[in-house]
Amino acid sequence: MARYAMVVDMTRCVGCQACAVACDKEWNVPLGFARTHIQNTGVVGTFPRLASAFRVAQCNQCDRPSCVEACPTGATARGVDGIVRIDRGVCIGCGYCVDACPYDARFLNLDTSTADKCDFCAARLDRGTEPACVATCTGHAKYFGDLEDRSSEVFHMVFDLGARRLQTNDVAVGPNVYYLGRKADVDLVFAKFPPHPPRSATAREFWSRIVKPAVVAAVTASFAGQAIAFFYQLNKGEKEEQEGKE
Amino acid sequence: MASTTSELAPRLTAKQVDELSQRQMKKHDVAIMLLHWFNALVWFLELTTGAAMLTSSSLRVAPEWFVRMVEGFVGGKAELLRFHIAVGIAWMVVFAVYTTFGFRTYVTKEVLRREISLDSDDMQWLRIRLLRMLKRSTTPLPPQGIYNAGQKLFAVAVYAMVPIIMATGLIMTFHLFGTGMVGWAAVLHFAAVGAVLCGLLVHVYMAAVFPEEKPAFFSMITGNVNELYAFRHHFKWWKEMRGDNFEPKHEQNEAVK
Repeated sequence: MARYAMVVDMTRCVGCQACAVACDKEWNVPLGFARTHIQNTGVVGTFPRLASAFRVAQCNQCDRPSCVEACPTGATARGVDGIVRIDRGVCIGCGYCVDACPYDARFLNLDTSTADKCDFCAARLDRGTEPACVATCTGHAKYFGDLEDRSSEVFHMVFDLGARRLQTNDVAVGPNVYYLGRKADVDLVFAKFPPHPPRSATAREFWSRIVKPAVVAAVTASFAGQAIAFFYQLNKGEKEEQEGKE
Repeated sequence: MASTTSELAPRLTAKQVDELSQRQMKKHDVAIMLLHWFNALVWFLELTTGAAMLTSSSLRVAPEWFVRMVEGFVGGKAELLRFHIAVGIAWMVVFAVYTTFGFRTYVTKEVLRREISLDSDDMQWLRIRLLRMLKRSTTPLPPQGIYNAGQKLFAVAVYAMVPIIMATGLIMTFHLFGTGMVGWAAVLHFAAVGAVLCGLLVHVYMAAVFPEEKPAFFSMITGNVNELYAFRHHFKWWKEMRGDNFEPKHEQNEAVK
């Protein structure tokens, strides 16, 4: 089975945002939101040792996605090909997954009232075409392919050239977007845009920690009470008077 | 389980017992019986599909096999959600129709006067019943109206929770008041359903299993109860309906109860 991944060659990314525009156009992303966009570290250092780099931000299709556990209905699921997909027919738009993403790669699409994010253009993949951002990238900085395929470009870039995942010891969720480039640039991007630990929405936390245990305990107690009453009834037997004949 | 019989009702002679047990009293209109069984079906379907919809490990309330079974039965996860919403909306429409067209006949007469109005006898009944279950009292239970205090208490809980369930369901379905609200609506929906479910278990046991209340169960099918049951369990109601035409015997030595 395929294990899809994307590699961003930071030495070729010029921050033109063509990928973001292509994605918005492909998926009719509402204004003010994006499935993918470019982040700039800004200029750092002191003259003449200045540095700046771009990061392509998008869903990382993590191996251990925190958004999947956050979703109450199972609308978000990781497929066997490694792509984390959202089933809009199952999503209730609670927003728990948006808080859970360590990369802030999700948003609530106000047009569909469901969660939204990059899914490596899964619908295009099904049609046999590559993701819109990869096809559009003016600097040929984005590569998409199968890490299980040893002849693929992404396999070569990850396992031979050492493309790196944006993760930390605290947040090791196994992202499948890799960054390749000069070590200083990659380090700069990683330092500037580290993933944050997955957050749990207050409502969800309240549900799982207080409401669910309370409801389960109360329903169990109620059921146990009826069970005890029934055993008592079994032991005592039923009286004739119920039929109105005494 | 302690008896629900009103022990302060007058005693009957054997002849009166025989006479009462052969007579029927109308307890429910057809409209109420239909609503009751429609409601029961809705609760069964909504509890089943609702439990199957929660798949996150920290929120799950039903085992994996149950989730898969229900999903398979309706055709998939998306169909499960659509089914749950469709049944919920049908439920709300039926309630809206009953509330609108039956406001004078059922909402004011049945619900407000009979189902949720707890009087001093009811409060006393609840207190004594609780103490007797704990073996702390032998005081006779006071007479009850058409519904006893336990049934009324359940009705109060249901009427308090049903609007919450409906409102939160609508918020989630139509994404009203923003996404933050949907997240909290899901929690409230779950909590309100849980609160009703606790009472529902007691309701089902008392109606379908508890022997003394068998006539009440069958009254939801036939609409009638025999008068002896009404006399013993709902004496105030019996008296209201039949009291003027029937004179119970009060002599202890002739009494059979």
